[in-house]
Amino acid sequence: MTSIIEVKHLTKRYRTATALDDVSLALDEGKIYGLLGRNGAGKTTLMSILTAQNFATSGRVRVFGEDPYENAGVLGRLCFVRENQKYPERATPPQAFRTASYFYPNWNQRLAERLVEEFQLPTDRPIQRLSRGQLSAVGIVIALAARADVTFFDEPYLGLDAVARQVFYDRLIEDYAESPRTIVLSSHLIDEVANLLEHVIVLDRGRVVIDAAADDIRGSAFNIVGDATAVAAFAVGKQVLRKQTLGNVTSVVLKGQVSESDKVRLARSGVEVAPVSLQQFIVSSAAQPDKGDAWGTDGPPAKVEARQLVRNGGAR
Amino acid sequence: MTRVTNVMRLQLMNRQSYVIVPLLVLGGAALLALAIFLLVPYDGPKYAVMAAAAPLWAFLVVGVQALTMSFPFSQALGATRRDFHIGTLLTAALTAAMLALIYLVIALLEKATNGWGVNGYFATPGLDGDAPLAAFASYFVLAMLWFLIGYWSSAVLKRWGLVVLLNVLVGLAIALTVAALLLVRFGAMQAVAEWVVAQGALGLDAWGLLLVVVLAASSYLTLRRITQ
Repeated sequence: MTSIIEVKHLTKRYRTATALDDVSLALDEGKIYGLLGRNGAGKTTLMSILTAQNFATSGRVRVFGEDPYENAGVLGRLCFVRENQKYPERATPPQAFRTASYFYPNWNQRLAERLVEEFQLPTDRPIQRLSRGQLSAVGIVIALAARADVTFFDEPYLGLDAVARQVFYDRLIEDYAESPRTIVLSSHLIDEVANLLEHVIVLDRGRVVIDAAADDIRGSAFNIVGDATAVAAFAVGKQVLRKQTLGNVTSVVLKGQVSESDKVRLARSGVEVAPVSLQQFIVSSAAQPDKGDAWGTDGPPAKVEARQLVRNGGAR
Repeated sequence: MTRVTNVMRLQLMNRQSYVIVPLLVLGGAALLALAIFLLVPYDGPKYAVMAAAAPLWAFLVVGVQALTMSFPFSQALGATRRDFHIGTLLTAALTAAMLALIYLVIALLEKATNGWGVNGYFATPGLDGDAPLAAFASYFVLAMLWFLIGYWSSAVLKRWGLVVLLNVLVGLAIALTVAALLLVRFGAMQAVAEWVVAQGALGLDAWGLLLVVVLAASSYLTLRRITQ
């Protein structure tokens, strides 16, 4: 598979903060990427630089093999609706959709109309007067119906209720199946989007801490919960990603996979084994040391170990 | 070319700002000017220059919105800054020309009716110009100037922030004031006035057009590095 986005040693520094710190990535064609991380981790900055709406302090970005800045051939294949996207004064949603349709040759009007109905989007009011959720819905309609070769979603669900969010996830998967393309979905609601993602990139304070296939991540760790002594005994010699203790009960996230004989052994001592969700894994491996009490005496694992872990998982 | 026309269509989504609001202001200002002409007990020719300028100010707002609202949308849709700039200026030129044409028609009517029967004029530029071409050019250039002042200052604001914009504007005001004071101090005001009159309406329009070009170029250089 060919990389359509290549990022090498990308750093973005503002006067007082570093938004991106030596980020290197390669994104393949036709996959759904999750760009995950806490607020301020650098997700929006990264997407802005990829779409030439912001500029790198150092490092290199290539989209379809070329520098995207002022490159009509590249930019015309991208769509990036921001979380706080601005629209022309007094424009109504249908006017914005019609305008977007001029820019994208593959525009899917049927999908746009269907989404308008499902989001119950008002069509006669200026976008400026819509609610937060409706504003998000306008952005989703444009980004989905555009069918651009690379589509960036920046926290697209802000203000949407659970039903509307599900509509977004369902239509995204449906339309992606019908017309495969590269989608980058930035989110901090990890569990909600976990099932959509084929590949996960986690940013933390401007650095890439995880860059791995979603399946590899799911199989790369497990969780055991039970009597503190029994758990501690089992954990000996294993890499502990996260440890939480409540009274006599300890929960640890362990690196690797659990064997059948281990399961039997654990069951005998009353310890439960559970798979680790994407969210648990990310929180376990990307959590910060200064968030103190979430951690047991072992302390947090180094980020390097989390990356190592995923890489090992990927090599299986 | 399609990419540029797409930007024009994007800008004209906003027909209300580009077309309807200036026309409404023009209509309102015209009615007001006529009412005042009727009330003024003076039979000689009366000019209402401010009334004529009113709809042109609407272009200032349009220029601001073109950059603060439409530019981010064009970026979301993958337009280059260059295409956005060209398409936006063409839209402004097109609507300014339309407005100037309407003025021209009004100016001609004004002349034909001897100032609406009350010897009052608001669409005919005062200088040497009841010549139709001069009237058209003056209104076109003025509308473009207002548009570009809004567009350029918004570009400076978005790129460098309010402090820089205010510094630039205050700096310009000080420079102009100092220049005027120097002219007065060295008794050159008379010469300047004569020079202005010598230029005639069309000559001044040409100077205005030069300013339009300078503002358009510096707006482009500014918006090339605006970040979202």
